[in-house]
Amino acid sequence: MGYLYLEEKDFAAFVDALIAAKRVVGPTAKRNKFVYEQLASADELRLDFDVTILPPKKVFFPPAQDIVRFGEQAIEGCIAPVDTVLLGVHFYDVKGIDMTDYLFRERKEDWNYLAQREATTVVASNIQAISPRAFWDSVGAEVKPKGHDAFLTKLAGGCVLETLTPKGEALAAFGAFRDATADEINAAQQTNDSVMGQCSEKLGYTSEAIAAKVRDSFDNEELWDELAMDCFSCGSCNTVCPTCYCFDVKDAWNLNQVSGSRTRYWDACLTREFAAVTMAGGDKENFRERHQSRFRHRFMRKTAYLNEKLGGPACTGCGRCSQACTVNIADPVRVITAIMEVGS
Amino acid sequence: MAKPKIAFFDFASCEGCQIEFTNFGDAATLELLNHVEIVEFREAMTETTTGRIDIALIEGSFTREADRVRLQQIRHRAKYVIAYGACACTGGINALKNHQDDFAEYVYGGDARMPHLRSGTAQPISAAIKVDYEVKGCPMSKDELLLVISNLLHGTEHVIPTYPVCVECKRRETICRYDEGDHCMGQVARAGCGAPCPADGIPCEACRGFVDDANLPALEKVLMERAGFSQKRAVGKSRMFTANLRS
Repeated sequence: MGYLYLEEKDFAAFVDALIAAKRVVGPTAKRNKFVYEQLASADELRLDFDVTILPPKKVFFPPAQDIVRFGEQAIEGCIAPVDTVLLGVHFYDVKGIDMTDYLFRERKEDWNYLAQREATTVVASNIQAISPRAFWDSVGAEVKPKGHDAFLTKLAGGCVLETLTPKGEALAAFGAFRDATADEINAAQQTNDSVMGQCSEKLGYTSEAIAAKVRDSFDNEELWDELAMDCFSCGSCNTVCPTCYCFDVKDAWNLNQVSGSRTRYWDACLTREFAAVTMAGGDKENFRERHQSRFRHRFMRKTAYLNEKLGGPACTGCGRCSQACTVNIADPVRVITAIMEVGS
Repeated sequence: MAKPKIAFFDFASCEGCQIEFTNFGDAATLELLNHVEIVEFREAMTETTTGRIDIALIEGSFTREADRVRLQQIRHRAKYVIAYGACACTGGINALKNHQDDFAEYVYGGDARMPHLRSGTAQPISAAIKVDYEVKGCPMSKDELLLVISNLLHGTEHVIPTYPVCVECKRRETICRYDEGDHCMGQVARAGCGAPCPADGIPCEACRGFVDDANLPALEKVLMERAGFSQKRAVGKSRMFTANLRS
C-alpha cells in the first residue's frame, strides 16, 4: 500500500490496458449529464464529472436484477460476478457504497449484491467539478470514506494513485507507474482538501443534533404537512439515492409458459403502495397511506434511524435527490434546516 | 385441458392495439398459440365466433348505447374481460371530445351530420360492464398483456405498477425533461410502460392514466415554475389521454 505516480501522457494507455483485461465502468457523458457506463475506450472516461444521475451502487445492485430463472424442473440462481474495475468514484459515493456493503451484509448476506461487489475494484477519484446541489462537505463528517481499493488524484501533469488494498495495488501492473514523491503526495492531499468547503449548499448542524431534532419532530404533523405539500410521491428521491436499498420482487413467465424468472426491482418508500401489505383474508393495509407520512419516513431513515449501524446519517450529501425532485422539496438541506429552525 | 379461447373485440378506437399485438412477431405468436386458441381477431383473421370464450380482449371506448348491448353480450359469453389500450381503460383520446361541442364540424366539415358520426360521451369499457383486468397505454403494452394472460393461465394474481413514470425514467437514467427546459407529466402518470417517451426526448402524456392520489395542483405549479407555462396552459395541460380523469 502506498503512493504511485503516473504521467498524464501515460494515463490513457493505463485505462485502455485495464479495459483490455477487465470490464471497466466509469463516469461518461450523457448529453449535459453523467452516467456510469462500461467503457469501450479511455476517451469515454470523464473524471471531470460533477455527479452522475444514478450512483455507482447500480454496478452491484442493478435497477432490475434477475434472482433466479426457473424451468419446468430446475431453478437456478443468477449470480455471475464479472471481474470489474469501477474507476472514478467521488468520496461521497465511496461512503454510499460502504453503507450498502454493510446493509447487504447485515443479518443475512445478500450474495446477489456481494458477489459482484467482491469482484469489483473500486477506484475513488478526486472531485474536479462540484454539482450545484451537492453538500457533501457539510454532512456526516464523522463517517469516513472507506472500502475503496485505491484513490486517484489528478494533478497538473499527471496523477497520484494511492493504493489501499491488494486489489488496488494490482492496478499498478497496467500502467507506467513509478513511486510518487513526497511533494506529489502532498499536492494530492492539498487537491482533495481544497474542495472541502466549496459546496454552495450547507448543513449547519451536527449529525447528532439533526438526528435528535428530526426524531423529536415526528409528531409535528403541521410541519410535515407543510414540507410535503407538493410531494408527488414519485419516488425519484429514493431512486437516485446512493443509500436506498429496498427492492420489490416479481415473477414473470416466458412465452412458453413453463420457464420464467424472478426479478428484483429498486423500490421507493415515497411511492403510494410501498407500505401496503396484504392481510389475512386478502384485505390491504397501508401503514403509510398519506404522502406526508412517507415523506417523513424518508427523512427519519436518512437522518436518524440508521445512524447507529452506519456510524452517521444515511446521507452522503451527493445532492441527487435535490436535483431529481421536479418540485424541489426533497432537498435535505432545505428540509433539515426547516426542522432545525422550528421553535428556535 | 383444452386451450383457453381468446377473442379480440374493438369499439371506438384506431385498432392500433390489435396491430401492436401482431408486433409480437411470428415466433412469439406461434409460441403463444401453443397455450391459447385465438377465435376472433379482426385485424389478423377472418373467422368470428358467437360461442363461449375464456378471455375477451376489448379495445376502444364505449361511446354509444348500442355499444352497451354488444358489450353486455361479450361479458355474458366471456369468463374474463380484459380492457386493453388507453381508449378502453380511460376513454383515451376519444374523451377529448367530452369537453367540446363543435368537434364534428371542426373535423368533418360539411359531413359532420352523417348518421354514423353520432356518438355520445366517450367512456372506458368499465362504464358499461365489469372489467376484470386493464392493460393501459397508447398503444397498450403488449408485454403487459402477455403477463396478464400468463397470470390467468397460471391462476396467479396480476399486479400492475401503482408508482409513476418518474421511477422508470430514473431506473434507466433518462435525463429529466425538466432538466432540459421541457415539461412532462411523468410525476403523476401511471408507470408500467418502461418510460420509452422521455428516453426519446418526448414528454410523458400520461397515456396510462394517473396514479392514485395524483397531486395535480403540484403538477400545475411545476408546469408554471419549471416549464414556464402560463396558468391557463398549466391547468389545461394536455388532456390527450386524461380528459376523463380531470375536472
